[in-house]
Amino acid sequence: MESRAEQVTDAAASVPADHAPSGSADAAASAPRLTRPRACIATGVSAGLASHLGWPVWVVRAAFVVTSLASGAGLLLYLWLWVFSPWAPGDERPTRRAPVAWLLMVGSAVSLLAAWVTSGRVVDAGGSGLESWLLAVFAGVCLAVASGAWATFIDRPDPDRGPRQELAIRIVATALLAITALALVFGPNANWYPVPTFAAALAAVLGIALVYAPTLVTAWRDLTAERTKRIREEQRSEIAAHLHDSVLQTLALIQNRAGATSEVARIARAQERELRDWLFAGDTPADSDLGTDLRDFGAALEIDYAVTVDVVVVGESRERASGEMAAAAREAMLNAARHAGGEISVYVESTPDSVEVFVRDRGPGFALADVSGDRLGVRESIIGRMRRAGGSGEVRPGVGGVGTEVRLRFPAAERAEGHRG
Amino acid sequence: MAERVRVVIVDDHSIFRSGLKADLDDTIEVVGEAHDVESAVAVVTDAAPDVVLLDVHLPGVAVPAGTSGGAEVIRRAAASVPSTRFLALSVSDKAEDVVGVIRAGARGYITKGSSGADVSRAVHAVAGGDAVFSPKLAGFVLDAFGAAVGETAAASDELDRLSAREQEVMRLIARGYAYKEVAAELFISTKTVETHVSAVLRKLQLSSRHELTAWANARRLL
Repeated sequence: MESRAEQVTDAAASVPADHAPSGSADAAASAPRLTRPRACIATGVSAGLASHLGWPVWVVRAAFVVTSLASGAGLLLYLWLWVFSPWAPGDERPTRRAPVAWLLMVGSAVSLLAAWVTSGRVVDAGGSGLESWLLAVFAGVCLAVASGAWATFIDRPDPDRGPRQELAIRIVATALLAITALALVFGPNANWYPVPTFAAALAAVLGIALVYAPTLVTAWRDLTAERTKRIREEQRSEIAAHLHDSVLQTLALIQNRAGATSEVARIARAQERELRDWLFAGDTPADSDLGTDLRDFGAALEIDYAVTVDVVVVGESRERASGEMAAAAREAMLNAARHAGGEISVYVESTPDSVEVFVRDRGPGFALADVSGDRLGVRESIIGRMRRAGGSGEVRPGVGGVGTEVRLRFPAAERAEGHRG
Repeated sequence: MAERVRVVIVDDHSIFRSGLKADLDDTIEVVGEAHDVESAVAVVTDAAPDVVLLDVHLPGVAVPAGTSGGAEVIRRAAASVPSTRFLALSVSDKAEDVVGVIRAGARGYITKGSSGADVSRAVHAVAGGDAVFSPKLAGFVLDAFGAAVGETAAASDELDRLSAREQEVMRLIARGYAYKEVAAELFISTKTVETHVSAVLRKLQLSSRHELTAWANARRLL
């Protein structure tokens, strides 16, 4: 249905484009697509149809009412359009101004009241109005059931109405139908026309059951959804187990055979990480803290440079990824990847009174004193940035003269200030 | 590293076994291979090697739920070959892959992506009685023993916390330092570093620390 509607729109859209040069854009072709506005009175069918046809809304409504008199044709058309025309595009939840459930309930009450009032006359008239009297009872029962269904299926998710209205509708419907059933059984018609009257009373009792039936339907729906979810979850873990035993092993083997920093190994490593993230997506926290951010950044570096980045995070990381600390750490990692390559170790430790990041490489190494003053990289973006933010940064040669180690520290008390600034 | 080390490789992927076999250096002699829990127990008890290179995720018929095949091999075989040491091979260096086998008695672990030279080094270290710690495992240990929140063991025989020195060693390993570099940084001998690491490994295996067991239980490792 959706796809056909799309095609119709496409066709409608293409027509004015074809006609545009001749300057005769035709009105029907530029008509808006038939959709129901999200802010509507009951279903939005009339308003949607009116804007589609370019008619005033009251004309459309009148047309529905008039044609409904012809054996309910208008009503059928209305229902058909209600079922098949989509909501107008948008994200907000549809709102309905009319309290449809209550209107249906009022209709039910009026219908049943009319039946009760006329029941005496049927007897007096010798049974001539029996059919219309029965019709009124059944219509009242149907309207009460419809009111309950509307309250459960359509109004319940609406925050303005919700379960409270559903409960109220149910109480009223139950009371109404119960009184109807009792009135029928003990009323005058029961003696004169027992079979149709008891049928009507039975219908009223059944109606009470039907008012509550939507709950069963929603419960069933929830159950099915739950089961589908569980089956998906099982399948997912089965796939995860299978991939773990096959693809991940192969990727590990490729890395092993290709040498740690070769391009093939890096691609395999990146692939392994992606696959692992996908397989165990539920295990990782969604919000980006310092550790997660540096891990992601390391993964990105591995693709661009011939490096392997090992990120170890200790302690509960409260530092946010947007902070100066993270920026300085990223800069240090980028430097290591650019100038040293090979294996880079990143260690993040969050203690109650400070956050520390160590970035260590095993490259040729350099001393800060040797770097000319116009090179901004280390001096400004790492050490200067840390100092301005209230922390400290230090670059020193690695142990035994191998490589370089950058040490960043941010005391907990001043960290808050750094973020404010 | 002159003496030859006798090794059994246990992994369910034959390609991986042959690849690893080809990569190991000459000082290591592969005396047996196995592909699942049952054959591994049989081969290990039969050959009584110095070191077993053991895949963490191993198929087996009667592996109880909540444990890995690798841990199960150690549990079944260790008693009959007391001199054999186990080195876990894991496809990743995720702590949850590893802590189960360490708790079962492995002397360390190494990722499958490691080069043949790295694996050979680790085999020699384990054969010599040392523990093999990766930066990730060191990080996990620091976390699990509460080092980040300032918990420090008061007595040296305390199982549930790390001593100040052990924490220093673990921190440096987590920062990517080799044992030799740790020794140079802390002005102690490499042997002392190894002693500290072994002590930490023992704590990791024996501790009933709440975080460790809760963490392991949550992942159904023990």
